[in-house]
Amino acid sequence: MSLVHSAPSLATDRPPLIVAEGVNKHFGPAHVLRGVTTRFFEGEVAVIIGASGSGKSTFLRTLNRLEKHDSGRIVVDGIELDDNVRNLDAIRREVGMVFQQFNLFPHLTALENVALAPRRVRGTPRAEATRAALELLTRVGLADHVHKYPFQLSGGQQQRVAIARALAMNPKVLLFDEPTSALDPEMINEVLDVMKDLARSGMTMIVVTHEMRFAREVGDRILFFDHGELLQDAPADEFFERQRNDRIRAFLGQISH
Amino acid sequence: MNVALGVWPARWTRQQRSTATIAASAVVLVLFMWGVAKPLSWMPDPVGPVADEFASGTRVTVWLTLASGLAGIAIGVLTAVAKLAPFPPIRWAADLYVWAVRGTPLLVQVLFVYFALPAIVPGLQLSDFTSAVVALAVNVGAYNAEAIRAGIVAVPKGQTEAARALGLSPLQTFRDVVFPQAFKIALPPLVNNVVALLKDSSLAYVIGVVELSNVGNRLQAATFEPVPTLATTATIYLVLTTVLTRISGAIEQRLDLEQRR
Repeated sequence: MSLVHSAPSLATDRPPLIVAEGVNKHFGPAHVLRGVTTRFFEGEVAVIIGASGSGKSTFLRTLNRLEKHDSGRIVVDGIELDDNVRNLDAIRREVGMVFQQFNLFPHLTALENVALAPRRVRGTPRAEATRAALELLTRVGLADHVHKYPFQLSGGQQQRVAIARALAMNPKVLLFDEPTSALDPEMINEVLDVMKDLARSGMTMIVVTHEMRFAREVGDRILFFDHGELLQDAPADEFFERQRNDRIRAFLGQISH
Repeated sequence: MNVALGVWPARWTRQQRSTATIAASAVVLVLFMWGVAKPLSWMPDPVGPVADEFASGTRVTVWLTLASGLAGIAIGVLTAVAKLAPFPPIRWAADLYVWAVRGTPLLVQVLFVYFALPAIVPGLQLSDFTSAVVALAVNVGAYNAEAIRAGIVAVPKGQTEAARALGLSPLQTFRDVVFPQAFKIALPPLVNNVVALLKDSSLAYVIGVVELSNVGNRLQAATFEPVPTLATTATIYLVLTTVLTRISGAIEQRLDLEQRR
């Protein structure tokens, strides 16, 4: 399935793209991330799963500092995430994100949504940014909808625009925060198909999802979160086929039926 | 107001119709400002002979409104941003300003800028017109700030997150993503404020600005004919506010992508 990527154990000879070390996060009295330590490598598809409130989305959001971590270290592409704003802008240029609620800009067309960040952040001339945006929208199957506004598109189409928008910045890694959870069932596959294509093209992806079939099919590595802890971090086949943890077995049993 | 767009050919896009309405209204406004003297001059005494004074009073009223309206929107945006600033003293300053302006009569503010400000700031010399613009802008700015702040707060947090995640700076995020959406939400109350401003500009007469109300009132006092003079004054205000609401209605239509209205 994933010929392009090597298993994480084989990838350790390369420097990791993202390192998280002992990451802690509190929301008031709630300890939502408890000493999370892991690494992500280039070309890898990591899938984060776990029950609601297990901290998986929060962890994903700390990776581009939409949430600040309280303690521990996060290093992305060699740059440490801290209060230094220059670091932050540099990192966010390299880390794309796709949200559960799409978060397209409603006052801009699909094309403008995709072209905005390259024009503003990279200073790409308008004509060039538009051409690139057109290409990306074609790639996600929306060539006929480029001049539509978000409210004129279905949820699945909006999410594909959002993926194109994230790709427009040429990120080194794409974060997906439950990208199909807000979609009607018949639209989930059109989004998952785009994500599978991306994975095949060698894109580095970290995906928070409840789609177990996607995790099994596309994921190189599965991270299981439980009550703010990274309970297990295993290659996908081992995780699904030879799962020894009772708690995770119970979770998988519930979710796949 | 949306009826106004209906006069344009149906095959035009909403945007073209909106542009046409704005352009037509602007032309009407300009024609009115310089052409109103003509029909007024046909009227019987006491209005006919002083048609030119009414026309020039109308122009002063429009200039007062445009100048203080634009400045008031700029002040409103800055104050709204200041009210949401992460640094508390900036928020306090903005709150203090809005509190003071909304808690005192506009008449006192106009008098204050004209008479008291030069006494406080040595060397400051403002003409009556400039004083009126300053007072009106400061006044409407405080009300605008509330409208715009409400608009900014109403833009979903996910919009800011998406923009920041793409690498846009805070300023770019505000300019390209948050403000356009906030402005659309704030537009109806802003229009209210500007229409109120047009009418409130009549208070400039207390410091001697020869604007529309001043012309009407002086003529009324000189001729002892309050009905024709004040009716003429009121009618001109009515024409001006109507043109203004047409323009803002067209802007609202233009921003209303979903065509909900």
